[in-house]
Amino acid sequence: MKRLIAAIAGSGAFMAGATALAERTPGGISMLPANSALAEQVHFFHNWILMPLITFISVFVLALLLWIAFRYNSKANPVPRKFSHNTLIEIVWTGVPILILLFIALPSFDLLYKEDVVPDGKQETYRGDGQTGDFVFANDFAQGRAVIRPRHLEVLVDDGSGARKLKHRDDYRLSGLGDPEVVVEFETPPAPGTSIVVRGGRSGISVKDCALTARYFDTCEKHIALAPTMTIKAVGYQWNWQYSYPDFGDFDFLSNLLPRDQTTADKYLLEVDNRLVVPVGETIRIITTANDVIHSWAMPAFAVKIDAVPGRLNETWFEADREGVYYGQCSEICGIKHAYMPIAVEVVSRPVFEAWIDGQRALAGMDPMFDDDVKLASAKTGDNGN
Amino acid sequence: MADAHAAHGDHADHKPSFFVRWFFSTNHKDIGTLYLIFAIIAGIFGGAMSGLMRWELAEPGVTILTQWSGGDLEAAANFYNVLTTYHGLIMIFFMVMPAMIGGFGNWFVPIMIGAPDMAFPRMNNISFWLYGASGILITLSLFAPGYGSNIGFGGGWVLYPPLSANTGSPGPAMDLLILSLHLAGASSILGAINFITTIFNMRAPGMTLHKMPLFAWSVLVTAFLLVLSLPVLAGAITMLLTDRNFGTSFFDAAGGGDPILFQHLFWFFGHPEVYILILPGFGIISHIVSTFSKKPIFGYLGMAYAMVAIGFVGFIVWAHHMYTVGLSVNMKAYFVAATMVIAVPTGIKIFSWIATMWGGSIEYKTPMLWAIGFIFLFTVGGVTGVVLANAGVDHYMHDTYYVVAHFHYVLSLGAVFAIFAGWYYWFGKMTGKMYREWLGALHFWVMFIGVNLIFFPQHFLGLQGMPRRYIDYPEAFAYWHGWSSIGYVITIAGMFVFLITMIDAFFFYRRKAEANYWGEGATTLEWTLPSPPPFHQFNELPRFDKGDARAF
Repeated sequence: MKRLIAAIAGSGAFMAGATALAERTPGGISMLPANSALAEQVHFFHNWILMPLITFISVFVLALLLWIAFRYNSKANPVPRKFSHNTLIEIVWTGVPILILLFIALPSFDLLYKEDVVPDGKQETYRGDGQTGDFVFANDFAQGRAVIRPRHLEVLVDDGSGARKLKHRDDYRLSGLGDPEVVVEFETPPAPGTSIVVRGGRSGISVKDCALTARYFDTCEKHIALAPTMTIKAVGYQWNWQYSYPDFGDFDFLSNLLPRDQTTADKYLLEVDNRLVVPVGETIRIITTANDVIHSWAMPAFAVKIDAVPGRLNETWFEADREGVYYGQCSEICGIKHAYMPIAVEVVSRPVFEAWIDGQRALAGMDPMFDDDVKLASAKTGDNGN
Repeated sequence: MADAHAAHGDHADHKPSFFVRWFFSTNHKDIGTLYLIFAIIAGIFGGAMSGLMRWELAEPGVTILTQWSGGDLEAAANFYNVLTTYHGLIMIFFMVMPAMIGGFGNWFVPIMIGAPDMAFPRMNNISFWLYGASGILITLSLFAPGYGSNIGFGGGWVLYPPLSANTGSPGPAMDLLILSLHLAGASSILGAINFITTIFNMRAPGMTLHKMPLFAWSVLVTAFLLVLSLPVLAGAITMLLTDRNFGTSFFDAAGGGDPILFQHLFWFFGHPEVYILILPGFGIISHIVSTFSKKPIFGYLGMAYAMVAIGFVGFIVWAHHMYTVGLSVNMKAYFVAATMVIAVPTGIKIFSWIATMWGGSIEYKTPMLWAIGFIFLFTVGGVTGVVLANAGVDHYMHDTYYVVAHFHYVLSLGAVFAIFAGWYYWFGKMTGKMYREWLGALHFWVMFIGVNLIFFPQHFLGLQGMPRRYIDYPEAFAYWHGWSSIGYVITIAGMFVFLITMIDAFFFYRRKAEANYWGEGATTLEWTLPSPPPFHQFNELPRFDKGDARAF
């Protein structure tokens, strides 16, 4: 069976180094591969909590029905018994489902709040000078979002050999949790030239490769998602999407379905002429609205789906793990060409993203925003259709 | 109670002439028959529409509907949307509701509670004919211009504005559809008032509510849901009508309105509506399971109040259909919690049916096959409902085929299986004729395989992200769509077996039904009457206030 790998690999220079993914596959029976820590969490919740439970319940009911068919058919059991009550069993089959639902509810609410509350984490970088051992982190979050527990902070150091995550208590101590200023204290001051990165906030997302029980009880190692680095506006039209990047200048573009003869058979109805381009590893805020009727901006790889409603602004967010091109399709019926307004997101590195932004600005007659020549030179100019 | 009807066989059955009997009918059984005929006709149309959709979806690319539209892709796409819309509306409003409530409800609620007829026989008559008028309007709407020169309204059965407002569907198709739903709603409200009055006031002496058969209980709860929810739909679509025609802007953001308001109103009706569709089925299944197990229903009070609980909670979970519209996170959390609560009374029902069978002496006659099929398939549809209740996962699943699979498991495989169960259970009672047992069983098995093959793979499509209401899809989805369409062909073969079974029963088998052809397990009042029952029954009321007479 054909897969999308070949198609993705051939989709342009931006994609050269990206991992090819088995996305929608013929005969596929599972959720599309996750490309964010949060989508991983959705997969965990569905694949490891909900699926086993509902499979067990269905098989249990089926097994009872089969046993009854075998044991209590009129031949095997000619004289029916006459009972019609059993208080104990009735209490059990009321109580056990309640317990099962509570078991589901715990991770469900956790997941919901992580999906729906846009991260507000922030990052401060300090330089070690060999003498200072205390670093002050301003705990200036909105009400109810302040750093009050050690797990609300992540501390990383980089002495030139790559960033290393430190352990609370072993490597550093904290004072002033919940106060306006939290102090990160090192026993031995970091060497001169070391950079110390402190990420704080309550928007911790469990990292990948976390054990199932730890995931369930939400005790995984956390990666604190930072506040969005940009807001992207997606406007639904009959029948295409218009994207704009208000943080990067006054330009917008339409994203239309790529006709059948301009794309491969596998990607027809998924591929568009102008993709949404976002940098990898950054929190992206998407706000949606619509111009005519309701549409819905859906991106399964990030487990994101948000309606675009005329007269309303909806927001959601994602943080892509990997570079690559990911596809979604309009998910609220919007008229005749509902099936013909897909969504394609291209996740790229920061330099490529900046080069792309400057390209868009140039098209709109604006000066470049990022004048880092090195970045521009290293960025490959893609055939993104623009 | 058995002595109450000895005199029935011989007392005169003066039926009115054909026209007066069937067009001015005030007899609950005749009206029930009319509703069943109506539901069968609607079911044929609604089923044919799903057939066209599955034919189109059997392979990627738009190849089938373009043949109907003269090669015009736009008209074909519109036609596809029209098919999804009218398939949903027809199956819900014109097939399941008339069959369950109008058909079986009218036929058997008065008989089961020992009443001679419904409380308001003439209102019963107008209820039916309003349905007829409603059916004519929805048919007209199908052929009126909707969007541009394209006919019909193609915005989905949920009728969300602005797609259903002048922005999305300026033509008269939508107006006709609104009027059709007005009439259908009025009909159902009148019918519901009739059932509530009948059940509260006309039960046989001594039949307290707690002795009343569960089917009557189910119709009572359903009637309350109808009376409380349909006015909200009527209000919402009236506001939509004035938005469309008289310049109001309830749902128009440009005029200060809000499209989401319509969704709240719609689902405040729409969620109870899905319980309206399934609750009478719960009642039917209870009777059948008890009859063929030759055991009284297990946990009768629990069963009755589980339905009451489902009906009540059904009113406070509506926004779980709206997790992606931009609700606040706390509101979503509430609706997640409330929705999951429904699993508890539903579980009580499933397990009580199983406990009723436990220790029984079960005869696997056709109605019992459908009932057991119902129990299993409704369980499968129910547990995927628990998955969807979680907003965190629904952000992934919403508006995908997973949802389509879920609600077809509870409705197409749940409600429809319950209807077939009831049909085979009461066929002899209603017509006085028996069907050939093996044909009924064959119908069940072919349908069982067919509908599972249609809808089980749709879970996979949904997990892979296939959105619903799409005329065309990326090639990767072709595999499961192909299987799904094969399932439809098998289902159609099953319906063909059904047709043969019925023709055979009416014209060839010609076995006369006895009064109680199911034997000792069938204990409700309809089995004390001859098959078919006399035109008027219970001139002398059955009594439950003496001795240990038991209604159920």
